[in-house]
Amino acid sequence: MSTRNRFAVLVLAAVATTVACGGGEKEETKAPPPAAGGAPAAPGAGAAAPAAPAGNATISGKITFTGTVPPAEKVKLSADPKCVEMHKEGMEKQPIKVKDGGLADVYVYVKGGLPPGNYPAPAEPAVIDQKGCNYTPHIVTLQVGQPLKIKNDDDTLHNIHPRPTINEEFNIGQPRKGMESTRTFTKKEIMFPVGCDVHPWMRAYISVADNPFYAVTKEDGTFEIKGLPAGDYEIEAYHEKLKTMSQKVSVKSGETTKVDFAFKG
Amino acid sequence: MTPPEAAVFDRWRHRFAVTTAGCTLLLIFIGGLVTSTGSGLAVPDWPLSYGRLMPPMVGGVFFEHGHRMAATFVGLLTTILAVWTARREPRAGVRRLAWAALAAVVAQGVLGGLTVKLLLPTSVSVAHACLAQTFFCIVIALAYSTSPEFIDARAAEEDRAGVGPAAALATGVVFVQLALGAVMRHIGAGLAIPDFPLASGRLVPPFDAPGVAVHFAHRVGALVVLAAVIRVLLRAWRASAPRLVRTASLALALVVVQIGLGGATVLSGRAVGPTTAHVAVGAAVLGTCWLATLRAFRLLRRRDRLAATASRLGVMVTS
Repeated sequence: MSTRNRFAVLVLAAVATTVACGGGEKEETKAPPPAAGGAPAAPGAGAAAPAAPAGNATISGKITFTGTVPPAEKVKLSADPKCVEMHKEGMEKQPIKVKDGGLADVYVYVKGGLPPGNYPAPAEPAVIDQKGCNYTPHIVTLQVGQPLKIKNDDDTLHNIHPRPTINEEFNIGQPRKGMESTRTFTKKEIMFPVGCDVHPWMRAYISVADNPFYAVTKEDGTFEIKGLPAGDYEIEAYHEKLKTMSQKVSVKSGETTKVDFAFKG
Repeated sequence: MTPPEAAVFDRWRHRFAVTTAGCTLLLIFIGGLVTSTGSGLAVPDWPLSYGRLMPPMVGGVFFEHGHRMAATFVGLLTTILAVWTARREPRAGVRRLAWAALAAVVAQGVLGGLTVKLLLPTSVSVAHACLAQTFFCIVIALAYSTSPEFIDARAAEEDRAGVGPAAALATGVVFVQLALGAVMRHIGAGLAIPDFPLASGRLVPPFDAPGVAVHFAHRVGALVVLAAVIRVLLRAWRASAPRLVRTASLALALVVVQIGLGGATVLSGRAVGPTTAHVAVGAAVLGTCWLATLRAFRLLRRRDRLAATASRLGVMVTS
């Protein structure tokens, strides 16, 4: 029995007390976990872990795709007239976006080899915007402890429902345009989906890293990760459909090292 | 000794109970729609919906809030039925049944809220599905106990063929099968075996993926249900009880349709239509088996076990 199910059984046993059914949309903000200097501790390091060494090496490259790109799927928007109005010519979904051979929306990150220590989370929140009955950006990247601002820029209601397996799942509603909520993830977790159950086509991915060394490929498939200390690293590229590729790389201080990946369809 | 309370046929209360049972079946269908369309969490708050009584009925909100509205309506019907029964019903057992229906519908509403609050944990979702079927059976019992057939019945014939026990067993088997179906649906194992009528091209599939065992158990359960319902029909036939034959025949017809819908659910990749119909027809199978059980125990006298044993042993029993 999973923890959630066990919890559910406990709740069932005390039904009367549990039905504290609030109702109504509330702005909820979870405080980041306490850590020295306001920054979260890196995994494996206690609160007093030393600051991670700074660096000035760069990894850059291009992720390519060869093979047949599946045709874009037409989205049925008719369930919400306001979404129809925002997309009078219809909407298409293409999870494998290729331009000049370059693959967009690939999450590239340093999977292993980083020196231990604290990698402070930025105080500036990462943002996911519900706009045009879609999510912007499609891949949301942030660090453990960094706030995630969730915005509704649509004149229709949305619920935002991430489905992590390591972090805590939540489901909040934003029924009005201009609403904002802030949440924080407390554990490292790569590429878990977030969706809207009102508009089932709305789907994005969130990656929560325990360090700042990650990037998402641009339209042309290029990426760049800056500020790395010199060392030997494992770099992984993660695409929502094509899954993962990884390779080992050595980087030197002040130099840019090329790392390319080639996905096949 | 107090004489037994005399039951009086109350046409309008009986009709109201039948209507409540019909609305409950419709509510189960709408509940199935919520799951089939993946709209269970389209409204993240409860008991209000996006902080209001009536949110915009767009996308998944249409199904989830529609289910809440239908549930509220059935809750209202049940409350009226319970109060009506408490005031007019001379039989204490029936009054208790009406209060049990009210308690069940309240508990069901709370479970529905918990599924939303706890983000659809399997245990709560399955409990919600099973309590829906239980509530449906209670309302059917209320409708039957207020029917002219129940009130006027004189159980002259002995249940020599054992229709009652067979129908009770079939009802139990169907309930277990529905619970298994609910587990399969809520753990997302509806397509764990992607072909039909074979299972991964074989009679017994390789159990190499999570959910295959539950899915396969549900398929085997369908055959057990089929056998149990055929057994009821054969016994009703042997008992020469036309009303029971009709009820059992309806149950059998529904089981055949249900197996077809199960296949269509798999082959269509869990399309909303067949998947939801599969949920509703499953409830109808349960309700029909349950009605057959109630009718058998009402219309036929329970078999005297001592006489039956003596008869088997060839001994004459004198009283």
